[in-house]
Amino acid sequence: MSEKLIEFKNVTYYYDTDEDEENRPQPSPALKDISVAFSKGEFVAVLGHNGSGKSTLAKMCNAILVPSSGEVTVEGMTTSDEESGDLIRRKVGMVFQNPDNQIVATIVEDDVAFGPENLGIEPSEIRRRVDESLKAVNMYDFRLKQPHNLSGGQKQRVAIAGVLAMRTDVIVLDEPTAMLDPVGRADVLATVRRLNRDYGITVIMVTHFMEEAVRADRVIVMNKGSIALDGTPETVFSNTAAIKSCGLDVPQSTELCSRIGIKKTVLTVEDAVEEIMNIYGGEAQ
Amino acid sequence: MISDISIGQYYTGNSFLHKMDARMKFILVFALLVFVFLCKSFFSLALMVVFTVFAVILSGVPFKMVLKSIKPLAIIILFTAVLNIFYTTGGATYFEWHSLKITEKGINTAVFMAVRILVLVVISSLLTYTTTPTMLTDAIERLLSPLSVFHVKVHTLAMMMTLALRFIPTLVEEIERIMNAQKARGAELETGGLITRSKALVPVFVPLMVSSFRRAYELAFAMTCRCYTGGEGRTRMKQMKLRPRDFIAAGFVLILLAGVIVLNHFFEAVI
Amino acid sequence: MTPAVEVRNLTHYYMKGTENQVAAIKNINLHVEKGETLGIIGHTGSGKSTLIAHFNGLLKPDEGEILVDGQNIFESKETLRQSRFKVGLCFQYPEYQLFEETVYKDIAFGPKNMKLSQEEIDRRVLTAAGMAGVRKENLEKSPFDLSGGEKRRAAIAGVMSMEPGVLVLDEPAAGLDPAGRRELISMIKNYRRATGCTVIIVSHSMEDIAGVADRVCVLNNAEIAMLGTPTEVYTRDEELRSMGLNVPEITRIFINLKKRGLNVPENIFTVDDAVACLRKMQQRGNA
Repeated sequence: MSEKLIEFKNVTYYYDTDEDEENRPQPSPALKDISVAFSKGEFVAVLGHNGSGKSTLAKMCNAILVPSSGEVTVEGMTTSDEESGDLIRRKVGMVFQNPDNQIVATIVEDDVAFGPENLGIEPSEIRRRVDESLKAVNMYDFRLKQPHNLSGGQKQRVAIAGVLAMRTDVIVLDEPTAMLDPVGRADVLATVRRLNRDYGITVIMVTHFMEEAVRADRVIVMNKGSIALDGTPETVFSNTAAIKSCGLDVPQSTELCSRIGIKKTVLTVEDAVEEIMNIYGGEAQ
Repeated sequence: MISDISIGQYYTGNSFLHKMDARMKFILVFALLVFVFLCKSFFSLALMVVFTVFAVILSGVPFKMVLKSIKPLAIIILFTAVLNIFYTTGGATYFEWHSLKITEKGINTAVFMAVRILVLVVISSLLTYTTTPTMLTDAIERLLSPLSVFHVKVHTLAMMMTLALRFIPTLVEEIERIMNAQKARGAELETGGLITRSKALVPVFVPLMVSSFRRAYELAFAMTCRCYTGGEGRTRMKQMKLRPRDFIAAGFVLILLAGVIVLNHFFEAVI
Repeated sequence: MTPAVEVRNLTHYYMKGTENQVAAIKNINLHVEKGETLGIIGHTGSGKSTLIAHFNGLLKPDEGEILVDGQNIFESKETLRQSRFKVGLCFQYPEYQLFEETVYKDIAFGPKNMKLSQEEIDRRVLTAAGMAGVRKENLEKSPFDLSGGEKRRAAIAGVMSMEPGVLVLDEPAAGLDPAGRRELISMIKNYRRATGCTVIIVSHSMEDIAGVADRVCVLNNAEIAMLGTPTEVYTRDEELRSMGLNVPEITRIFINLKKRGLNVPENIFTVDDAVACLRKMQQRGNA
């Protein structure tokens, strides 16, 4: 777990164009002197309000954006080095927020094949990877469907399969659930978690849903282009005041337990019920 | 609320025609279209009709669907026929009024032209009925690939076609969504003259452009992330391979050509 | 009192007349009272969007009728047109409908279509902008220069400016961060308090609806599965989950506590309520 896969060293980033509407020109930098590292096999959740720089951080991981100053390295390769851009993207795959705008082909399996095809892999090997990847995200039965007939959650799983088929070491997800309903969200989350656990893929997931962060190995909270908090979910969410000042919420279970004076940091409904029963359980019949 | 628009008009099936190599289908359909124009007599045309009906049966596409593809062209067929009735004269005269004359030759030509167009339409729609849009663009890319010698960007063209096919349903849905949103604010999109109407479309057109540019931008991002750098060094998962059935089909078409030529030779030409 | 919106035996089919015909909504009966806030909940594809598109005649029922202010909206062209202004429909991600050169003009689009006088349009634009929280200095800017959250507010103002008796918002908080969500929900509450208008909020987030709605209507598989006060609906935790919906986390804690035998109410929707409730128990315990 200690091997550093992606490393940010004093990274600052300014947007100089207004092409990306979420990231309009700001007088202040989108990222301010960030230093952080991601290790192999980690599941990291990156939280932050809109415009906190979390998306920018994500896009820096595979050389889609390069630092204005400072350096990002992926397995020793510098993202600012134009030569290595493609090599880095073979290691770090990315899934975006809008499921519609990242599916290229008119048939599900053709879309999953798109990445490996770009890598120049043997046709029979592509076939094998495509089938495997679709099975891994539970979309194998949909392989001959047209993407526009799928639900949002299904489309996101196809997008994940597309990255999986490239056999990247890292998968970066930029608010993958923001446009989904609860069922779609749960499906996508379960899929991502399984890939991390069963395939050992390093996951960096940007989100503003706290519930999605509680099961991560590590939570990073961004605020105004800087890293405000970085640690296990327990340590990060125990700091309710700091989180609120970043325009975020702690999970309701956490907030409730801290407000009624439970010392331990509680993250889930089940734990909250246990803790409350410990205090008030005496009244139960 | 258009949730299920089929792209193109692919009819799911597993027939001989469905299984053929799309490249071969392309070439043969092109050849058949030329043959139709080679037909000079009713007999050679009749042979083409028989062949076409046989192909439709072989494809497993219901006749009803084939008729559907003719429907939009009915007016053109009718128009051509009527025009030919009056413009061609010769042989016995059946009807005469001022300068308008209906003659035997006129009727013959009219029928001939109508059947000819029908055959053209049915044959080309069979291609789209039995081939997925992806296979079609793939076939085009591969058939045209020799052109890259002349610096024609065949791969880019094919990629653009694929993306267009992919995004048509998405954009149709988007247009509908925006139209509804503006109608909900009292926009009148479906009344008034041409100018009023085109003016009224501004509230639909502007958001559509904005969102299309956003989509294009995001898509380009996503494609870069998946290591897309153009056609060079790309492999394809689905290989196209000529199989015996493709050569059998080609043989049939060759025999048909011979038949057309022979019948043309022995029977009187209509046109 | 005549209900603001009345839906009678409403059915609408997708792909009507083809072999793939499916009912998007089936035999819906619903009264929305004047001045109430109704939450409509359901997963994607449950028929929520189809239902609300009938309220102002964007979709025509295949069976049944829609009455707005007691008037069948499909009675004439004029009643249909009036229904557009009586029921203000604000779609999901409304920022994608902005098109004018300035925010001001965009908010004025609806009132202009109503053919109101210029002073009246001005008044409505300013009122709506104020209510939706669009800052004055943004009014003369291009809507495309605003931030995501500001665009959303401008677009909502564009519907509020028609001063509809019924305001329908489809997923108003979708895609916003927690602070943005909270502000938006409180904006809706304030709007309702200030205007006394009927508000219908469509969402799949039970948490957003919990604090605002007087009544909740749950759609599942094209039909109304539940209709009642938030307490009545949210306590049917397991049924809701089987429909792909999530009860607010805090409510789930209390439902589970109750199951474990603790004497707590199940109608707890906010952390504040929860804390208050547990404190009270503690005092009772100490006494």
